[in-house]
Amino acid sequence: MPALVCSALPVHAVTYLTIEQAQAAIFPGRKLVSADVSLSKEQRKAIEKASDVRVRNLDLKVWKAEGGGWFILDEVIGKHEFITYAVGLTDDGAVKQIEVMDYRETYGGQVREEKWRAQFTGKKYGAKLKLDDDIQNISGATLSSRHIADGVRRLLATYEFALKK
Amino acid sequence: MNSRSRSEVRRCRPLLGTFVEITASGIDESGLTAAVDGAFAQITRVQALMSVHDEASEISRLNASAGLRSVKVSEETFAVLQHGLDIARASLGAFDFTVAPILAGWGLLPSHLRRRAHGTWCDVVLESGRRVRFACPLAIDLGGIAKGFAVDAAVASLRAGKAVSGSVNAGGDLRVFGPQASRIHLRHPVSAQPVPNSISLRNGALATSSSCFTRRQWRGQTVSHLVNTENRRAITEDLSVSVRAKECWLADALTKVVLNADPMLATHLLETYEAEAFILAA
Repeated sequence: MPALVCSALPVHAVTYLTIEQAQAAIFPGRKLVSADVSLSKEQRKAIEKASDVRVRNLDLKVWKAEGGGWFILDEVIGKHEFITYAVGLTDDGAVKQIEVMDYRETYGGQVREEKWRAQFTGKKYGAKLKLDDDIQNISGATLSSRHIADGVRRLLATYEFALKK
Repeated sequence: MNSRSRSEVRRCRPLLGTFVEITASGIDESGLTAAVDGAFAQITRVQALMSVHDEASEISRLNASAGLRSVKVSEETFAVLQHGLDIARASLGAFDFTVAPILAGWGLLPSHLRRRAHGTWCDVVLESGRRVRFACPLAIDLGGIAKGFAVDAAVASLRAGKAVSGSVNAGGDLRVFGPQASRIHLRHPVSAQPVPNSISLRNGALATSSSCFTRRQWRGQTVSHLVNTENRRAITEDLSVSVRAKECWLADALTKVVLNADPMLATHLLETYEAEAFILAA
């Protein structure tokens, strides 16, 4: 019988941290005060020019850390992934820490397994033809974190043009 | 809430050009958080030493100067170079970390890694006092082994932090430790869906190499991050090779051996290193 992979979408979804947990992870023991920012058209233009990354969202979720520093909540969307992450900046705008908070991956369509065969060298392992409900570990097809790198570059430019006093 | 779910810490950060996920459990939460932070610090250190994308890294310094004079490197970089040369020698060059100029020529690595002549692993000379010299102009990219090495360093750090069990997954190159076995799903080389068969892993590592997601068109030819060391062309088949081994640097390097070496030699090396390969092929 050819096996069909029909796992429900999304394929892989993990929540690592809530906002409060991410804040505590990046600024342990520090008080954070909400300081949301709405970018003007001019700021958007300047950020896009400086970072070479498109600004999709003009409303930024920002917190200011007591004693200096910024906590910015951001999202990036790749071809198959949707990632919520937090960036902590030092008072002078350097990256302090980045934490992925929520990671979702989706792949459309189904795969017909019959075209594929698995070959094994060395010892054989006990095949287990069942998809786990919660797939935690997936090996292969390294996912690029380029979108996050782009996002961080955009946020550093955002600091320069919208947060820095 | 049971005590087990309370005492697991799971974090993910963008590092090594991918997403690195670290989990740890078995002790109190503050101990786990410190252990996980320490493990991320190890990965950050390996990245700072060995990334060819960072012109200030030790490997970039090596690529710039080791053709002219011998260069002293850190213990970590020296260890990775030793490991890499061991596998290169044993596999008769099926694993070769000097393919960087080829990848740079295809636009997959920074252009400063291009070289006119092609040296091989045989031209990398390790000297006493952790000094490295290139016998001819060449460039090294440790991408095929350093990611696994970073995973191993992170696992060592989690263990030193007294975590009872844990895992480090750098975009699919992963290692687990602790009393429980984990089930790992391989990603389908074409669709990226997990294939139904899962692999059991206990106190071991698994790494995967596949050209399916990195190949692209470059001036009329298809190229990928994987190089056939025999003919120096890109490996572009719908193929995914995973290797299970005790350590992740080894699993990482052996995936390239399985892709490139004569099957008899590859099988022999897998046995020698107590490793196994799982190949998904069209």
